[in-house]
Amino acid sequence: MDLIVQTLPLLARGLAATFQLALITLAVAALISVVFGLMGTSRRRSLRWSAMAFVEFFRDIPLVVNLLFVYFGAPLVGVPLEPFWAAVVSLSSWGGANGAEIVRGGFNAVSKHQRESAAALGLKPWEVLYYVLAPQVLLPILPPFTGLFSILIQATSLASLVGALEFFRTAQIIVERATLMTGHSPAFAVFGFVLCVYFVICFSLATFTRRLERRLADRTSKRGMKVQSLKQEAAESI
Amino acid sequence: MSYDFSFSYIWGAGPDLMSGLWMTIRISLLSIVFSVVIGTVGAALRVFHVPGLSHLVAGYVNFIRSTPLLVQLFFVFYGLASIGIPISDFWSGVLALSLWGGAYNTENIRGGFLAIPKGLGEAAGALALRSSHYLLLIALPVGLRVSIPAMLNTSVSVLKNSAYLQAIGLAELTFVAMDRVAMDFRTLEMFAAIGAIYLALVLALSFSVRGIEHVLQKPFRAS
Repeated sequence: MDLIVQTLPLLARGLAATFQLALITLAVAALISVVFGLMGTSRRRSLRWSAMAFVEFFRDIPLVVNLLFVYFGAPLVGVPLEPFWAAVVSLSSWGGANGAEIVRGGFNAVSKHQRESAAALGLKPWEVLYYVLAPQVLLPILPPFTGLFSILIQATSLASLVGALEFFRTAQIIVERATLMTGHSPAFAVFGFVLCVYFVICFSLATFTRRLERRLADRTSKRGMKVQSLKQEAAESI
Repeated sequence: MSYDFSFSYIWGAGPDLMSGLWMTIRISLLSIVFSVVIGTVGAALRVFHVPGLSHLVAGYVNFIRSTPLLVQLFFVFYGLASIGIPISDFWSGVLALSLWGGAYNTENIRGGFLAIPKGLGEAAGALALRSSHYLLLIALPVGLRVSIPAMLNTSVSVLKNSAYLQAIGLAELTFVAMDRVAMDFRTLEMFAAIGAIYLALVLALSFSVRGIEHVLQKPFRAS
């Protein structure tokens, strides 16, 4: 316990790095989600299939393998990546693949007739997207995206595998040094503490997500259900 | 920058990859079986509102789902050893993966139990069935069927997440491949190989469970 109190400043810095990594990753993942999610709803088959290939590829290959590949593979094509940025690339493409399914589900849940009637009124495709679809889709996909954020916070712990100095890596280093100095490993207490911190953060986020869902549920009864089942799938992956 | 991709290198690494693959399969299968058992027990405890225990199960599920698997794994492998309970890397992996999958399966199977038509429960009550009989004769055969697709998702995740075990030095597929990369620097070959193997495993698992699902649904289809 003393050790944890002593190393609290270090752990706090690690936690800050974790949040930084998670936020940057979420931003990039959201961008990827929108692009590939929209491609997934496209009427053009080539677009739809390339979106599907992207999504399936990232969801079927273990995230660990994906991350190691980005980190060790990038130098081969002449772009050596720092651990932090390798994690951003790998986690955001993975999160983007999961997010794309959420976005696609949200758009598909809007009745087809609305698109058709909007088109019949002479709206251009981007106008249909901006005035008709987006306002209906943004709210119901908000809860699954907070869920995805919680998953990404957990997934950042993987960055420790390539040596990015985030929360978990900091804790590992503290355990290693303390073992060297005292001959006793404090792994149980330190890793237990780390687990509790992750729990407090992610469980609060999950509670917040549930509340958000309940609030939106009456506004978007049917769509909410559909998107929720997609979120369930995304939540499985980590 | 050109990179000469060598298929013969992958071929040469075949025996190593196969031993890693075998480890991955053994760990995954054991963990999937245990996670289904944990999930069934956990879901039964929650659905029947066993005093005390059902809250404990809810806490376990929330805790596992709100913490990273990698940290759970380190806690089991290094943490337990540091307080005098050393577990081998193999069984640490099985324990961590089973507890992780078990939490998700508890929710999956609970969903299946809750989907059982109310009339079946009432009929069981009218026949004065004991709850153990209700569980064995009605809840399990009907409820488990409903939760099979969700359990498939969890099983696929357990299989993919077995790659985490390379972090504690267990010689499974990813570890073996990384080991070769460290020796020979044939990065692209090794990642292409294990990527293809993982894809094949995931697809094989999906198909086999879809087959089982098909067989199980048989009595419920109109002939």
